[in-house]
Order: sequence, then C-alpha cells, then structure tokens
Amino acid sequence: MTTFAIQTDALAKTYGLGNKKVHAVDGLNLNVPEGSIYGLLGRNSAGKTTTIRMAMGLARPTSGEIKVFGLNPAVDPERVTVLRQIGYVPEDKMLAALTPRKLLELNRSFYPDTWSDDLARKVIKRLELPLDTAFMKLSLGNKTKSALACAIAQRSRLLILDEPTTGLDPIALDELLRLLVEDCTADGRTIFLSTHQLAEIEQIADHIGIMDRGRILLEGPLDDIRSSFRRLTVTGAALPTTNPAILSIKQQPHATQYILQSSPEAFAQDLAVNGATIVESDPMSLNEIFLELCRTSEASEADREEEFA
Amino acid sequence: MLSLRISASSGVPVYLQLEQQIKQAIASGLLRSGDPLPSTRRTAADLRINPNTVARAFQNLEREGIIRTVPGGGTFVASLASLAPGLLKAEKLRRIRPIAEQLAVEASQLQLSPTDLHKLLDAALNDLAKSRRTRSSDPAPEGDQ
Repeated sequence: MTTFAIQTDALAKTYGLGNKKVHAVDGLNLNVPEGSIYGLLGRNSAGKTTTIRMAMGLARPTSGEIKVFGLNPAVDPERVTVLRQIGYVPEDKMLAALTPRKLLELNRSFYPDTWSDDLARKVIKRLELPLDTAFMKLSLGNKTKSALACAIAQRSRLLILDEPTTGLDPIALDELLRLLVEDCTADGRTIFLSTHQLAEIEQIADHIGIMDRGRILLEGPLDDIRSSFRRLTVTGAALPTTNPAILSIKQQPHATQYILQSSPEAFAQDLAVNGATIVESDPMSLNEIFLELCRTSEASEADREEEFA
Repeated sequence: MLSLRISASSGVPVYLQLEQQIKQAIASGLLRSGDPLPSTRRTAADLRINPNTVARAFQNLEREGIIRTVPGGGTFVASLASLAPGLLKAEKLRRIRPIAEQLAVEASQLQLSPTDLHKLLDAALNDLAKSRRTRSSDPAPEGDQ
C-alpha cells in the first residue's frame, strides 16, 4: 500500500483583499507518495506557496483537508510532530542580520537527533557558500544556498523546497540536483519541490503535479504522464474532433495537429483504420505538456467567462 | 567504461533510455558478461536523475535476464551464453515482435520498400557483429577506446 507524505482533499484557501476574494487554493487534491521526488509545477500565483504554507501549518485552510504523514499540521500537538519531520526552504528567504554560519548553528540546535555536520560541510563545499557574510550583504543565490544547507543537513523525512533554484547559477544548480539525489532520497525520504523551472525538475522528479489557479490539472508518475501525451500530425478526411483522448486540435493548411492526453496508440490506430495518414507522431517534453495544459485550461476558462458576459 | 547519457527533453521515458543504452553496450561488446555496473545511487547521482528511475531500469533488465544482482555485492552483466540458448524460441520472438511491428509501421508510413528495410536491418546486424569482433580481439580487458 502506498503511504503519502502529503495528501489534500478539496483543500481551499481564500484570502480577503478589500471586498474582493482571492481563491489562492481552490479545491486542491494532491497526493505526494512517500519516498518520491515530487515536483509541483505551476505559473506564478498558481497557489504553490499557499499550499506549502498550509502543509507547514503556517496558513489555515478555509475548507477541505491537508494531512502530512497522516497528521493535521494546522492543530497542536500534531503540528509539532509534523514540523519535526520537515526540512523547509521557503521562497522568501528573509534572514536579517544573521550569517550563514549562525543560521546553521541555530538549525543544528533545533534538530539534534537528525542533524549531520558532515552533510552540512559537504553542502557548503559543493555549493561554495560563504559562511561569514551577513545576509543583508549576500546575493539571492547565496541566501538560497544557506537555506538549502540547513534543510539538507537536517536530514528530514520530508524535504519541502519552495522554488529552490532561485538565483542559483548553472553550476550551483547542477550541484544541488546531485546533492538531492545523493543525500536526500535514501531510506524512503521524500522531496517535495515547487517550481516553474521545468527542465531540471524533469530530470530528478518521479512524480509531477501541474497546478493552475488553485487546482490540479494533472498528477501522476512522470513516466506515465510522458507516455500518455503525444503530438500527432494527420492528413485525411472526416477526422474526429470529439474524443476524450484529444486535448487540443490545430488546423494547419494541409494537415491536422492533435495533442493527445491519453492512450495515444489506440487513437492513432483508430485513425489509421479509418483511412487517415499519420504524417508525424512525436512524444512531448514536460515543458510542452505544461504549456498545452495551461493554455487549454485558460481557453476553457475564457469560454466560461464569455458565457456569463 | 560504460558512459550513459540522458536526454530529458526527448520525450522517451528515462528508464527506457537507460535500458536501451545498457543493452546496446552489451550487444556491441562494450560491456561483457561479468562486468560490474555502477550502483543505482551512483548512477542516479552521476546523471542527476531519480534513483527510482535507475532502479526501474535495472529491475527490468534483471527480469529479462540481462543483468543479475548479487545481494550486497552489486550488479553485474549476466552471461549471455547462459541466457539466450535457455530461452524458448517462442519467448525470443515474443520479446522482439513489438519492435518488428513498429519498424514495419514506420517503414510503411515512409513508403520504404521491404527490400530497403531488409537491407537496413542486415547492415545494422553487420555493424554490430563487426563491433563485437574488434572488441573481442582487443587485448585490454576493459576494451576502452
């Protein structure tokens, strides 16, 4: 049986902004299996950070439910048990007048049972983190590295990274990916990271959730997602336009382009049986899948708004 | 030395890319029976990919009898001599049929004649045999060029 590091059910968070309501998270169903590297992908203000803050007990759900290792992070004493098992790198790294060295010492004293000095040293060396510069003088990338060093050395059961690549140069980013794979996945530990940088996440994640306007558009094992999507370019007469497998259709001068979102082989076979010619059949990268899903979801939203107008 | 490469944007699942490259290395003689493979975690860290993905590729290869894992002792290329003759011909055909079908579909979409397709397959088999011959006459056991 799969156990889940994080699970949400119809989770919602609404902020009041004057007399306007903002639905930051809007009926979210998320399933993060324990032991996975889970990438939560979404555009700016898709609701990623709000979701993470609710997992950390830093924000209270308006409705619905969120569980971390089966516990509710919004109420004591469960929250304490949850927080003891999470390493967290927040998106806004406001760390005032400390130095990275002092921040590491502080975190070390919070997690005496799991903290590893060896691992802290390794991260500092690999990411080339200056230890004795005050945070107000550190670059964005070095602030990110300090937070990462603390969270990785803590060796938590669940590592939550909110936009962990902010300000990192390509070398530091590559080292980070290696550290995450090498030192943060053993013994069934889970990494949950949010990002809109897709390429690097596509490499290390095995589970993906694509989020848009507070909801999940798509979730599952990355390999399954990859094999369900396909771009077909087809010529022929009387091509089908309604089929659950079709995500979108584009008419080109001499051909029709389908973006398929499920069982592409069966769909292609049907076309061929009905006399159509498949000119091209290409797998899609995660980036292309993400763009198509967000565009399609925006288009259907726009349709709905027009109906009301 | 086995050097694996991953293209994340190719759309081909990463575990399949790994399986194909290891099979290719064995077929061309770059890896030989009894050669050790790097550990799952080492491979994952070197390639910056998910350890579960590497484990999945290794499990599939092991199920096919291409590699074998010694508990606590690492992973090795299995002896092909013991594998291939041991399989029933029906099983060998079952494994290769999907690839043959796909090849036939692609070729007919490109309107390539059966003769040309046969020639292409013969050439590929020849290349593989040639590469295996050069490597087995190579005196160095690692056969690294």
